[in-house]
Amino acid sequence: MSVTHDDVRKIARLAEFEVGEEALPLLAEHMSRILEYVAQINAVPASEGVKPFVPGPDAVRFRPDEVKPPPLAFGPAEFAPAFRDGFFLVPKLGQFEQEQG
Amino acid sequence: MPVAVKDNICTLEYVTSCGSRILEGYRSPYEATAVNKLKAAGALIAGKTNCDEFGMGSSTEHSAFGRTLHPFDKTRVPGGSSGGSAALVAAGAVPAALGSETGGSVRQPASLCGVVGIKPTYGRVSRYGLVAFGSSLDQIGVLGRSVHDAARVLSVISGRDPKDATCEDRDSLRLPNVPESLQGFVIGIPKEYFPPDLDPAVRRACDRAIRLLRELGAAVRDVALPHTQYAVPTYYIIAPAEASSNLARYDGVRYGPRFDGSEDVRALYRTTRGEGFGAEVRRRVLVGTYVLSSGYYDAYYRKAQQMRALIAQDFRNVFDRGVDLLFTPTTPTPAFKAGEKIDDPVAMYLSDIFTVTANLAGLPAISVPIGRVKGLPIGGQLVGQAFLDDEMLEAAYALERAVPAGEEA
Repeated sequence: MSVTHDDVRKIARLAEFEVGEEALPLLAEHMSRILEYVAQINAVPASEGVKPFVPGPDAVRFRPDEVKPPPLAFGPAEFAPAFRDGFFLVPKLGQFEQEQG
Repeated sequence: MPVAVKDNICTLEYVTSCGSRILEGYRSPYEATAVNKLKAAGALIAGKTNCDEFGMGSSTEHSAFGRTLHPFDKTRVPGGSSGGSAALVAAGAVPAALGSETGGSVRQPASLCGVVGIKPTYGRVSRYGLVAFGSSLDQIGVLGRSVHDAARVLSVISGRDPKDATCEDRDSLRLPNVPESLQGFVIGIPKEYFPPDLDPAVRRACDRAIRLLRELGAAVRDVALPHTQYAVPTYYIIAPAEASSNLARYDGVRYGPRFDGSEDVRALYRTTRGEGFGAEVRRRVLVGTYVLSSGYYDAYYRKAQQMRALIAQDFRNVFDRGVDLLFTPTTPTPAFKAGEKIDDPVAMYLSDIFTVTANLAGLPAISVPIGRVKGLPIGGQLVGQAFLDDEMLEAAYALERAVPAGEEA
């Protein structure tokens, strides 16, 4: 398994990371090494009949469906980078939507 | 009782930065249930402890705020990711500290620092307020200077919590009595945890501990957990996959600092995440994104889920044959030198080789100091059956009282 610089660029784009060109060689090398190492699980024959293991309670318990204020000691204005009139402030959302489209 | 808290567990009184620049200075507007229960029981929250960024690491070298030193040898690492908690307890600053586990992050540093580290059964302690890394693996655990100190804290923080759907609807853990003997216990020794290249001193310390378990009255039996060799690769697919999803929320919009200068919102996300996350987190998020991406999902993530089921089945098979507990080394070596594994991620991942299985199978496990190698502590691990944490603690009490933990192995 050899990860190319283009692979790293593509995955970084999916993960919403800015990765500088100078960081690409080491990231590609480390990712290749990790993926080669973890791929050894494919040496075990396919185990389609195995029931997936999920820890925790068998059934999710629901709380009563009640409207409650969030139990916060202070509001988002104190922990968000930019917050005004009940909104998180971000630059130019329109450009993002055009790029997505 | 003063209790220190790992920096990825939310507190109202202190910053919760998860060892990351991306949450530098972040104050949580709520506190973790575990912290809330400790305060209600009269504990004093003594402060926050350094950790690998978001719990990703085995040496506490991957913190944006600098590495934590080993308390007995400053040139070595204390283990990780709860290295700050382990070092603080080992240094005698607090009798106990909260840590968190995804693949051994309480037991591994406990072993390297010569303190007790407990990872409870998945679902025994609420994860509410524990900053998520790998949600199907994460658990809050406890580090203590003795089994009693750690168990006392675990008893307080355990039990049902309507704020966490993965927390079992059970009462708090009862503190077991200190047993006079281990008569009636059957302890399995899995051969896969004693490979030929195991550090000879670690093997000697384990052999001595096994002899003492026998002398205490336990029946000791060789057992096999055949899928153990695939545990680390399985873990390093599932945990990064879950991390890539959990860490998507850090985008510079809702939490922590914003690395700005961006002209549009997508550039804002990328700049903030690119500059805010450290090298190891970036690597794991990229690997996690890769194994979940189209074309690779079946070969990696789906296969890893199947392997996880086989690993859990191995444990069930052993316990179904009358074995109560398993005994293994906690770590393959004593504390290693700082910088020794920092450039080789796979070598670092192999530090977790004996601990990740309990996380994958959701089982309780504890590391107890069992001796020293050239002055450096090493730990032995007991793994119990799901929700029989109390039985595991009982055996740990006995082992702790019998083993000369301060002596060279």
